[in-house]
Amino acid sequence: MPNGIRYPNVDSLYNLTMKEMSQIITIELNGEQQPLPPDSSVNDLLSIIGSDGKSLAVVVNDSIIRPNNRSTHQLHQGDRVELLIFAGGG
Amino acid sequence: MDVLKLGSYTFSSRLILGTGKFSNSTVMLDAVRASGAQLVTVALRRFNRQQAEDDLFGPLSTIEGITLMPNTSGASTAAEAVRAAHIARELSGSPFIKVEIHPNPQHLMPDPIETFEAARILAKEGFLVMPYIAADPVLAKRLEEIGCASVMPLGSAIGSGQGLATSEMLNIIIRESTIPVIVDAGLRSPSEAAHAMEMGCEAVLVNSAVAAAGHPPEMAEAFAEAVAAGRKAFRAGLMEKSGFAVATSPLTFLGTF
Repeated sequence: MPNGIRYPNVDSLYNLTMKEMSQIITIELNGEQQPLPPDSSVNDLLSIIGSDGKSLAVVVNDSIIRPNNRSTHQLHQGDRVELLIFAGGG
Repeated sequence: MDVLKLGSYTFSSRLILGTGKFSNSTVMLDAVRASGAQLVTVALRRFNRQQAEDDLFGPLSTIEGITLMPNTSGASTAAEAVRAAHIARELSGSPFIKVEIHPNPQHLMPDPIETFEAARILAKEGFLVMPYIAADPVLAKRLEEIGCASVMPLGSAIGSGQGLATSEMLNIIIRESTIPVIVDAGLRSPSEAAHAMEMGCEAVLVNSAVAAAGHPPEMAEAFAEAVAAGRKAFRAGLMEKSGFAVATSPLTFLGTF
Protein backbone atom coordinates (compact mmCIF):
# COMPACT_ATOMS: atom_id res chain seq x y z
CA MET A 1 0.00 0.00 0.00
CA PRO A 2 1.31 3.49 -0.71
CA ASN A 3 1.59 5.95 2.13
CA GLY A 4 -1.47 7.88 3.25
CA ILE A 5 -5.05 6.99 3.80
CA ARG A 6 -6.73 5.78 0.65
CA TYR A 7 -10.24 4.90 1.64
CA PRO A 8 -12.67 7.13 3.48
CA ASN A 9 -14.66 5.49 6.20
CA VAL A 10 -17.97 5.41 4.38
CA ASP A 11 -19.90 4.59 7.58
CA SER A 12 -19.42 8.15 8.71
CA LEU A 13 -21.16 9.37 5.57
CA TYR A 14 -24.22 7.04 5.75
CA ASN A 15 -26.26 8.99 8.24
CA LEU A 16 -26.10 12.29 6.44
CA THR A 17 -29.16 14.09 5.18
CA MET A 18 -29.42 14.94 1.49
CA LYS A 19 -28.51 18.52 2.35
CA GLU A 20 -25.45 17.42 4.26
CA MET A 21 -24.48 15.08 1.42
CA SER A 22 -24.41 18.05 -0.89
CA GLN A 23 -22.10 19.82 1.55
CA ILE A 24 -19.48 17.09 1.85
CA ILE A 25 -16.04 18.61 1.78
CA THR A 26 -12.81 17.11 0.50
CA ILE A 27 -9.55 17.67 2.27
CA GLU A 28 -6.05 16.57 1.35
CA LEU A 29 -4.96 14.07 4.00
CA ASN A 30 -1.29 13.11 3.87
CA GLY A 31 -1.30 13.93 0.18
CA GLU A 32 -4.51 12.07 -0.72
CA GLN A 33 -8.14 13.10 -1.12
CA GLN A 34 -10.40 12.44 1.87
CA PRO A 35 -14.13 13.32 1.88
CA LEU A 36 -15.56 14.55 5.19
CA PRO A 37 -19.02 15.46 6.49
CA PRO A 38 -19.54 19.21 6.68
CA ASP A 39 -18.45 20.96 9.89
CA SER A 40 -15.96 18.23 10.77
CA SER A 41 -13.36 19.06 13.39
CA VAL A 42 -9.87 17.62 13.59
CA ASN A 43 -11.12 15.23 16.26
CA ASP A 44 -13.94 14.09 13.94
CA LEU A 45 -11.35 13.32 11.29
CA LEU A 46 -9.27 11.36 13.80
CA SER A 47 -12.26 9.26 14.84
CA ILE A 48 -13.15 8.61 11.18
CA ILE A 49 -9.70 7.17 10.56
CA GLY A 50 -9.83 5.26 13.84
CA SER A 51 -7.09 7.02 15.77
CA ASP A 52 -7.19 8.37 19.31
CA GLY A 53 -4.65 10.94 18.15
CA LYS A 54 -2.46 10.46 21.21
CA SER A 55 0.77 9.78 19.37
CA LEU A 56 -0.04 11.88 16.32
CA ALA A 57 1.04 15.36 15.42
CA VAL A 58 -1.64 17.17 13.43
CA VAL A 59 -0.64 19.89 11.00
CA VAL A 60 -3.34 21.81 9.09
CA ASN A 61 -2.13 24.13 6.34
CA ASP A 62 1.33 24.26 7.97
CA SER A 63 -0.04 25.10 11.45
CA ILE A 64 0.32 22.60 14.28
CA ILE A 65 -3.03 21.85 15.94
CA ARG A 66 -2.46 21.01 19.60
CA PRO A 67 -4.56 18.30 21.28
CA ASN A 68 -6.69 20.75 23.26
CA ASN A 69 -7.68 22.61 20.07
CA ARG A 70 -8.55 19.56 18.00
CA SER A 71 -12.23 19.41 19.00
CA THR A 72 -12.82 23.02 18.04
CA HIS A 73 -10.61 23.35 14.97
CA GLN A 74 -12.94 23.00 11.97
CA LEU A 75 -11.73 21.62 8.69
CA HIS A 76 -12.62 23.30 5.42
CA GLN A 77 -12.74 22.36 1.78
CA GLY A 78 -9.22 22.00 0.38
CA ASP A 79 -7.42 22.04 3.75
CA ARG A 80 -4.07 20.28 3.67
CA VAL A 81 -3.85 17.98 6.69
CA GLU A 82 -0.71 16.12 7.69
CA LEU A 83 -0.81 13.43 10.37
CA LEU A 84 2.64 12.49 11.59
CA ILE A 85 4.04 9.86 13.93
CA PHE A 86 7.43 8.89 15.27
CA ALA A 87 8.86 5.94 13.39
CA GLY A 88 12.27 4.31 13.47
CA GLY A 89 15.18 6.54 12.52
CA GLY A 90 18.82 7.07 13.32
CA MET B 1 30.03 11.06 38.85
CA ASP B 2 31.05 10.97 35.20
CA VAL B 3 27.97 12.02 33.23
CA LEU B 4 27.23 13.27 29.74
CA LYS B 5 25.94 16.84 29.97
CA LEU B 6 23.78 18.25 27.20
CA GLY B 7 22.15 21.55 28.09
CA SER B 8 20.60 21.06 31.52
CA TYR B 9 20.25 17.31 30.93
CA THR B 10 22.64 14.70 32.30
CA PHE B 11 22.96 11.10 31.16
CA SER B 12 24.93 8.27 32.72
CA SER B 13 24.91 6.36 29.41
CA ARG B 14 27.13 7.65 26.63
CA LEU B 15 25.59 5.43 23.99
CA ILE B 16 22.86 7.01 21.89
CA LEU B 17 20.82 4.53 19.91
CA GLY B 18 18.94 4.99 16.64
CA THR B 19 15.71 3.10 16.10
CA GLY B 20 15.72 2.67 12.30
CA LYS B 21 16.18 -0.46 10.20
CA PHE B 22 15.27 -3.00 12.89
CA SER B 23 13.43 -6.08 11.63
CA ASN B 24 10.51 -5.28 13.95
CA SER B 25 9.66 -3.10 16.91
CA THR B 26 10.02 -5.92 19.46
CA VAL B 27 13.66 -6.44 18.49
CA MET B 28 14.19 -2.68 18.50
CA LEU B 29 12.74 -2.32 22.00
CA ASP B 30 14.85 -5.23 23.28
CA ALA B 31 17.93 -3.58 21.80
CA VAL B 32 17.09 -0.23 23.40
CA ARG B 33 16.70 -1.92 26.78
CA ALA B 34 19.91 -3.93 26.35
CA SER B 35 21.87 -0.84 25.31
CA GLY B 36 20.98 1.10 28.44
CA ALA B 37 20.69 4.13 26.14
CA GLN B 38 18.93 7.10 27.66
CA LEU B 39 18.83 9.15 24.48
CA VAL B 40 17.09 7.50 21.56
CA THR B 41 16.58 8.91 18.08
CA VAL B 42 13.30 8.72 16.16
CA ALA B 43 12.13 10.08 12.81
CA LEU B 44 8.91 11.76 11.72
CA ARG B 45 6.76 9.84 9.25
CA ARG B 46 3.30 10.21 7.82
CA PHE B 47 0.69 8.20 9.70
CA ASN B 48 -0.57 5.21 7.77
CA ARG B 49 -3.31 3.13 9.34
CA GLN B 50 -2.26 0.11 7.31
CA GLN B 51 1.06 0.25 9.16
CA ALA B 52 -0.03 1.20 12.66
CA GLU B 53 2.86 -0.81 14.17
CA ASP B 54 5.27 1.79 12.78
CA ASP B 55 4.28 4.16 15.56
CA LEU B 56 7.09 3.97 18.13
CA PHE B 57 6.01 6.71 20.50
CA GLY B 58 3.82 4.49 22.66
CA PRO B 59 6.21 1.51 22.86
CA LEU B 60 9.24 3.70 23.57
CA SER B 61 7.46 5.54 26.35
CA THR B 62 7.08 2.23 28.19
CA ILE B 63 10.86 2.14 28.72
CA GLU B 64 11.85 4.09 31.80
CA GLY B 65 14.48 6.79 31.63
CA ILE B 66 14.34 7.38 27.88
CA THR B 67 14.56 10.85 26.36
CA LEU B 68 13.65 11.12 22.70
CA MET B 69 15.86 12.90 20.22
CA PRO B 70 13.83 13.30 17.03
CA ASN B 71 15.75 13.90 13.82
CA THR B 72 14.89 16.05 10.84
CA SER B 73 15.60 13.32 8.31
CA GLY B 74 13.80 13.93 5.05
CA ALA B 75 14.49 17.66 5.19
CA SER B 76 16.66 18.98 2.41
CA THR B 77 16.58 22.66 3.41
CA ALA B 78 16.92 24.61 6.65
CA ALA B 79 13.27 25.70 6.43
CA GLU B 80 12.09 22.08 6.17
CA ALA B 81 14.29 21.07 9.10
CA VAL B 82 12.96 23.90 11.27
CA ARG B 83 9.39 22.89 10.42
CA ALA B 84 10.14 19.25 11.25
CA ALA B 85 11.75 20.31 14.54
CA HIS B 86 8.63 22.22 15.57
CA ILE B 87 6.38 19.26 14.83
CA ALA B 88 8.76 16.84 16.55
CA ARG B 89 8.91 18.94 19.71
CA GLU B 90 5.13 19.10 19.79
CA LEU B 91 4.97 15.32 19.67
CA SER B 92 7.93 14.39 21.88
CA GLY B 93 7.92 17.17 24.44
CA SER B 94 11.72 16.88 24.20
CA PRO B 95 13.96 19.89 23.54
CA PHE B 96 16.48 17.68 21.72
CA ILE B 97 16.63 17.84 17.95
CA LYS B 98 19.08 16.09 15.71
CA VAL B 99 19.48 18.40 12.75
CA GLU B 100 20.04 16.10 9.81
CA ILE B 101 19.88 17.62 6.34
CA HIS B 102 21.21 15.46 3.55
CA PRO B 103 19.91 16.32 0.10
CA ASN B 104 21.62 13.50 -1.79
CA PRO B 105 20.40 9.96 -1.03
CA GLN B 106 23.42 8.49 -2.85
CA HIS B 107 25.93 9.52 -0.18
CA LEU B 108 23.77 11.10 2.57
CA MET B 109 26.44 13.70 3.29
CA PRO B 110 25.06 16.56 5.38
CA ASP B 111 24.57 19.96 3.76
CA PRO B 112 26.76 22.26 5.89
CA ILE B 113 25.09 25.52 4.84
CA GLU B 114 21.48 24.43 5.43
CA THR B 115 22.51 22.61 8.63
CA PHE B 116 24.18 25.74 10.00
CA GLU B 117 21.17 27.90 9.20
CA ALA B 118 18.68 25.46 10.75
CA ALA B 119 20.89 25.07 13.84
CA ARG B 120 21.14 28.85 14.24
CA ILE B 121 17.35 29.30 14.16
CA LEU B 122 16.60 26.34 16.43
CA ALA B 123 19.28 27.17 19.01
CA LYS B 124 17.82 30.66 19.24
CA GLU B 125 14.38 29.12 19.83
CA GLY B 126 15.73 27.14 22.79
CA PHE B 127 16.15 23.70 21.22
CA LEU B 128 19.08 21.53 22.31
CA VAL B 129 20.51 21.30 18.83
CA MET B 130 22.55 18.23 17.92
CA PRO B 131 23.74 18.76 14.35
CA TYR B 132 24.87 15.84 12.21
CA ILE B 133 27.84 17.16 10.22
CA ALA B 134 30.81 16.13 8.15
CA ALA B 135 33.99 15.95 10.22
CA ASP B 136 34.80 19.60 9.57
CA PRO B 137 36.58 21.39 12.45
CA VAL B 138 35.70 24.88 11.15
CA LEU B 139 32.00 24.10 10.85
CA ALA B 140 32.06 22.41 14.26
CA LYS B 141 33.49 25.57 15.83
CA ARG B 142 30.91 27.77 14.10
CA LEU B 143 28.10 25.53 15.39
CA GLU B 144 29.52 25.74 18.89
CA GLU B 145 29.55 29.56 18.66
CA ILE B 146 25.85 29.75 17.77
CA GLY B 147 24.85 27.69 20.80
CA CYS B 148 24.53 24.07 19.72
CA ALA B 149 24.39 21.54 22.57
CA SER B 150 26.87 19.27 20.80
CA VAL B 151 28.33 18.55 17.41
CA MET B 152 27.89 15.14 15.81
CA PRO B 153 30.51 14.58 13.12
CA LEU B 154 30.31 11.43 11.05
CA GLY B 155 32.86 8.63 11.39
CA SER B 156 32.02 7.56 7.84
CA ALA B 157 28.92 7.56 5.60
CA ILE B 158 25.57 6.68 7.24
CA GLY B 159 25.03 2.94 7.33
CA SER B 160 28.34 2.22 5.59
CA GLY B 161 30.06 0.44 8.49
CA GLN B 162 33.38 1.98 7.42
CA GLY B 163 34.24 2.99 10.97
CA LEU B 164 36.33 5.99 11.96
CA ALA B 165 37.49 6.99 8.47
CA THR B 166 37.57 10.62 9.58
CA SER B 167 39.65 10.08 12.74
CA GLU B 168 42.27 12.71 11.86
CA MET B 169 39.58 15.41 11.57
CA LEU B 170 37.73 14.06 14.59
CA ASN B 171 40.88 14.51 16.67
CA ILE B 172 41.05 18.18 15.68
CA ILE B 173 37.35 18.70 16.43
CA ILE B 174 37.71 17.05 19.85
CA ARG B 175 40.81 19.11 20.69
CA GLU B 176 39.16 22.40 19.71
CA SER B 177 35.65 21.84 21.00
CA THR B 178 34.21 23.08 24.28
CA ILE B 179 30.90 21.28 23.69
CA PRO B 180 30.47 17.49 23.57
CA VAL B 181 31.64 15.80 20.38
CA ILE B 182 29.53 12.78 19.50
CA VAL B 183 30.52 10.49 16.65
CA ASP B 184 27.41 9.80 14.65
CA ALA B 185 27.29 7.41 11.73
CA GLY B 186 29.49 4.85 10.08
CA LEU B 187 30.46 2.69 13.06
CA ARG B 188 30.30 -1.06 12.61
CA SER B 189 31.94 -2.67 15.61
CA PRO B 190 32.09 -2.02 19.35
CA SER B 191 35.89 -1.66 19.12
CA GLU B 192 35.38 1.39 16.90
CA ALA B 193 33.03 2.88 19.50
CA ALA B 194 35.63 2.22 22.20
CA HIS B 195 38.27 3.86 20.01
CA ALA B 196 36.09 6.95 19.50
CA MET B 197 35.63 7.23 23.27
CA GLU B 198 39.36 6.78 23.91
CA MET B 199 39.97 9.65 21.50
CA GLY B 200 37.83 11.86 23.72
CA CYS B 201 34.39 11.73 22.16
CA GLU B 202 31.74 12.35 24.79
CA ALA B 203 29.33 9.81 23.30
CA VAL B 204 28.63 7.78 20.17
CA LEU B 205 25.43 7.35 18.22
CA VAL B 206 24.88 4.02 16.51
CA ASN B 207 21.96 2.56 14.62
CA SER B 208 22.82 0.30 11.67
CA ALA B 209 25.61 -1.47 13.58
CA VAL B 210 23.02 -2.71 16.07
CA ALA B 211 19.95 -2.98 13.84
CA ALA B 212 21.74 -4.96 11.12
CA ALA B 213 23.65 -7.22 13.54
CA GLY B 214 22.88 -10.93 13.73
CA HIS B 215 21.51 -10.46 17.26
CA PRO B 216 20.68 -6.79 17.79
CA PRO B 217 20.08 -6.85 21.59
CA GLU B 218 23.42 -8.60 22.18
CA MET B 219 25.19 -6.16 19.90
CA ALA B 220 23.55 -3.26 21.73
CA GLU B 221 24.95 -4.60 24.99
CA ALA B 222 28.39 -5.05 23.43
CA PHE B 223 28.35 -1.43 22.26
CA ALA B 224 27.33 -0.26 25.73
CA GLU B 225 30.26 -2.13 27.28
CA ALA B 226 32.69 -0.85 24.65
CA VAL B 227 31.56 2.75 25.11
CA ALA B 228 31.93 2.44 28.90
CA ALA B 229 35.39 0.85 28.53
CA GLY B 230 36.54 3.49 26.05
CA ARG B 231 35.37 6.28 28.31
CA LYS B 232 37.09 4.74 31.31
CA ALA B 233 40.32 4.41 29.31
CA PHE B 234 40.10 8.04 28.21
CA ARG B 235 39.65 9.19 31.79
CA ALA B 236 42.47 6.92 33.00
CA GLY B 237 44.79 8.52 30.42
CA LEU B 238 46.46 6.47 27.70
CA MET B 239 50.23 6.08 27.86
CA GLU B 240 52.41 8.09 25.50
CA LYS B 241 53.42 6.37 22.27
CA SER B 242 57.10 5.73 21.69
CA GLY B 243 58.95 5.11 18.44
CA PHE B 244 61.25 2.72 20.28
CA ALA B 245 60.77 -0.36 22.38
CA VAL B 246 60.71 0.32 26.10
CA ALA B 247 61.33 -2.78 28.17
CA THR B 248 58.95 -3.71 30.93
CA SER B 249 61.29 -6.35 32.45
CA PRO B 250 64.95 -6.27 33.46
CA LEU B 251 67.08 -7.13 30.40
CA THR B 252 69.99 -8.66 32.36
CA PHE B 253 70.08 -12.46 31.98
CA LEU B 254 70.26 -14.28 35.29
CA GLY B 255 73.23 -16.31 34.01
CA THR B 256 75.38 -13.18 33.77
CA PHE B 257 75.41 -12.69 37.56
